[in-house]
Amino acid sequence: MTVDILSSIKGAQPSESVNQLFEVIKNAIPSNNNTVNNVHHNCLSVSDLREDVVIASSAIEKQLIIENFPSKKNGFLVVAKVIEG
Amino acid sequence: MDSQIKKIHQQLVSKQITCTALVQEKLDLLKQNTYNSVNSLLDTLALDLAAKVDAKIEKGEAIGLLEGIPFGIKDVYMLQGTYTTASSELLRNYKSPYTATAIQKLLDAGAIPLVKENCDSFGHGSSSENTIFGAVKNAIDPSLVAGGSSGGSAVNVAKEYTAFSIGGDTGGSIRQPAGYNHIYGFKPTYGRISRFGLMAYASSSDCVGPLAKSIEDIRIVLNVMSGKDPKDQTSIPSTEISEVAIATSAIKTVGYFKNFIESDAIDGQIKGDFLATIEKLKAKGIKVKELDFFKSDILVSTYYTLAMAETASNLSRLDGTNYGNRIEAENLIETYAVTRSENFSEETKRRIVGGNQVLSQGFSDEIYLKGLALRDQISENFSKDFQEVDIILSPVTPNTPPKIGDSLKDPLAMYLSDAYTVGFSLGQLPTLTVPHGTSTGLQITAAKNNDELVLQFANFLKDTL
Repeated sequence: MTVDILSSIKGAQPSESVNQLFEVIKNAIPSNNNTVNNVHHNCLSVSDLREDVVIASSAIEKQLIIENFPSKKNGFLVVAKVIEG
Repeated sequence: MDSQIKKIHQQLVSKQITCTALVQEKLDLLKQNTYNSVNSLLDTLALDLAAKVDAKIEKGEAIGLLEGIPFGIKDVYMLQGTYTTASSELLRNYKSPYTATAIQKLLDAGAIPLVKENCDSFGHGSSSENTIFGAVKNAIDPSLVAGGSSGGSAVNVAKEYTAFSIGGDTGGSIRQPAGYNHIYGFKPTYGRISRFGLMAYASSSDCVGPLAKSIEDIRIVLNVMSGKDPKDQTSIPSTEISEVAIATSAIKTVGYFKNFIESDAIDGQIKGDFLATIEKLKAKGIKVKELDFFKSDILVSTYYTLAMAETASNLSRLDGTNYGNRIEAENLIETYAVTRSENFSEETKRRIVGGNQVLSQGFSDEIYLKGLALRDQISENFSKDFQEVDIILSPVTPNTPPKIGDSLKDPLAMYLSDAYTVGFSLGQLPTLTVPHGTSTGLQITAAKNNDELVLQFANFLKDTL
């Protein structure tokens, strides 16, 4: 899949400046390529997870979420056209 | 510079000024300012809160240290009912439905938010020019950039429009503008302050932190915002840093990265000033060690590879479905594409595309996973260094601030200008910019969770330089 489709950005092309950064990584020689055993710095312990509880939004929060909705008609929130004609 | 917070607190308690007059004065300054540091003013909220503080003082009630202290917020933090635009077209009219934990803690302590501050859109930039609100001008020389991405926050503090401001730092976005505007800016250890309610750029490096004119104000604000938060599971518990604990320095050994200073890319004056600082430390009996480190281009490339991958994922939610400036097209897929194409800036699109490039099949092993492996090595390198030295000292930037307009013409040059800040972000280390030592300041870094040592050494350096 091309980057314009992956990014949902029309006509997007890889940037020359960014490609130069990636070239540096391609040419770098890490002394240890085994990331699976190493990437643990940001992991969380399962014993340290928060309670899985549902927290109801306040009235003001609900009102702001509705206010942020991009399209409204006759009191209804309008989604983008999903079904192709 | 002494603590602004303590000075204002004293003025309020002794009734030299009223909180309402103080807040009104700051709001007027912000409104009239020509530095493009303001995205929106929170005047009604601020004046309401100020009136409450005045009523309390009038009744003879005691007020807390932060009560009535005016502060600024980078426009990437949620504050319920206020516009939170991330300086982007897509979220130009977006209102926060809830409040970020770090900001809520400041509100609970009585601090008064005055302003949502201009920045690079979604934190994407090192100059605060990538914004729909106009490039932020440097507080010292307005023809130069303010730095970024927390440029508006740094300028507001430097001009004393706010007593302190809350910025966000992913690859240097607090430290670099602090250096460019001659103030303090602190990126704490990753996780020390909750990220809940901060619009995500690159989640594994995003940090909340204060910008202020004194070490003491950094300490006060850091203490209030720190702590484990159930709403951000990467947040960590921490202990309060006392004023006494950072008053005297126990630091014996300081290291610096030889290759940062021997690089061809560093400005001659910054290099000379940095080496002069090192000599002053030696004269004070501090043992100084030269350290080996990764080349700057590896650091910058590793950082941008991972940050772009993370921002491509984080920003995929911005499609105009539930919020944001949706642009309708013939079907859903086209609506997503047109909305994102028209509403994201060139720099944001460049980073999203770069991120999707490295995450796509065929590239992830060669670039993204290799980037992760390099990050691990960088972290290991830091661990070894901190067995030998207490503190690592470095310049903040290789060069002085560029002229407004120059960074946008050359994205690669802008990425490379982050050479000295991104490594500490990848290591998730506490790092403070101090406005001494070179024309864009110095960075003080300690091992993870050693934030106290950073502030301690900053106090020592203030008295030494």
